[in-house]
Amino acid sequence: MASGNRKRRTLWSQSGPSPRLIFGAAIIAIVGVLGMTPKAFFGIPLAWPFAALWGAIGWGRAGLSLRPMLLLVAFGLMQDIVSNAPLGCFAMINLLVYGLSAGIADQTDGMRDTLVAVVGPAVLLVVAFLLVWGFASITIDHLVRAWPLLTCFITTGLVYAFGNGMFDLGRRPGESPGGS
Amino acid sequence: MARSGRSGQKSGARRVTLGILIFGALALIVAQSAPQISNFFVPARTTISDRIGASADTSLWAQISGQAEREQRIRQLENEVRDLARYKAAAISMAERMEAYESILNLMGEPPERGVTARITTVIDGPFAQTVLANAGSLQGVVPGAVALNEGGLVGRVIQLGDRSSRILLVSNYQSQLPVLGEVSGVRAIMQGKDRDRGVLKDLPEAADFIEGERVLSSGEGGAFPRGLVVGTVTRQGSDWLVKLAMREHASGYVRMIAPPEIVEPLPELEVPEVPEVPVVPEGGAPAAGPAAPAASAAQGAR
Repeated sequence: MASGNRKRRTLWSQSGPSPRLIFGAAIIAIVGVLGMTPKAFFGIPLAWPFAALWGAIGWGRAGLSLRPMLLLVAFGLMQDIVSNAPLGCFAMINLLVYGLSAGIADQTDGMRDTLVAVVGPAVLLVVAFLLVWGFASITIDHLVRAWPLLTCFITTGLVYAFGNGMFDLGRRPGESPGGS
Repeated sequence: MARSGRSGQKSGARRVTLGILIFGALALIVAQSAPQISNFFVPARTTISDRIGASADTSLWAQISGQAEREQRIRQLENEVRDLARYKAAAISMAERMEAYESILNLMGEPPERGVTARITTVIDGPFAQTVLANAGSLQGVVPGAVALNEGGLVGRVIQLGDRSSRILLVSNYQSQLPVLGEVSGVRAIMQGKDRDRGVLKDLPEAADFIEGERVLSSGEGGAFPRGLVVGTVTRQGSDWLVKLAMREHASGYVRMIAPPEIVEPLPELEVPEVPEVPVVPEGGAPAAGPAAPAASAAQGAR
């Protein structure tokens, strides 16, 4: 009985926030670099996800911390350069989403409720979509087409739904392992 | 209590840090509305673009397994196909140009353009601007404002030039305005980017109309693009004329960048050098107002 209730201890479950942060950052960097190459699947152009938002949403759940903020700024600046956006635009969007995610987690006790765990990221993605769309429209002086951008955000959300564990830091910054 | 107080302080500090970072990013965005500050970041952007756009060296495994050799052969064949496609496009545009030349006597033909072929390393169809990054820059002979073509036709124009990379603004970009003309009808219009694969024709003349399915070529007006480059085929959708972009139909991942047309500025109006007044000296006498004097004053009046 006791062995049935015992949780399986995996390498991931035993790792602390730092290795998890590095792993998540590596995933974002790889997806970001792959996103810079021409992307088509049997001739159909793929809607590539905004990978840095996975980190912003996932890392924010563990509360505010300096290292994720710096990583998100770095990723944001790279996104700005690659997508020819004004410098600081994606950095700001990533940080805002990160702050909102931390705020939601703080208000909802770490998103233990399934409804909150689903609705929270969805709301954050909608906010991020509106910010990107708004910034792009302001920057180039006309309303940009929303559908291609929306498909990218849908992809971002779908991938996050399956891979959110990779961006879970496990415990809050400063919290000791096993401590409350 | 003390511990929870310290934790609260830390949490507050983190919030302040987040606020400062967000404010800093916002300030950076706002500051870039000034062209001087925006231009300050251009070297940094081009340097990073160089790093992204520079081609990777062939790996050791590729050399051992013979893959590098095969890939080189494929690249050679692709180059040949590209060259042939270029000649095809050139023939079409030359036929159109020839027709124009035939109506003007004693006009010399234009020499063929020389250019640089580069691989597209990064494609950005993002919301900000539709651009591609090619792995050739000023060191390979690309010039600012160079015109990019692929096997299909016109791709765009170089808007940022690094040492080893060029950022090309696509003709499908919303802000792209391209003067075009119908190959058969000869109707002129401005093509504006609509979406990834199509452009929309604006500023059409009221009297004439395009012919459904005809090819659209660059008209060369404005001086940014040469005349006669294939842009696409025209189709009607409701009251709008749309252009199906030819560059999307034959996209192989390579572009050829040619120098933009040079428009020689007209020479300033020649200034007539002032004619010094020559006093008429009669024999053995003081200078007197002779018949030249009224002529000189008349010349001055005319000036």
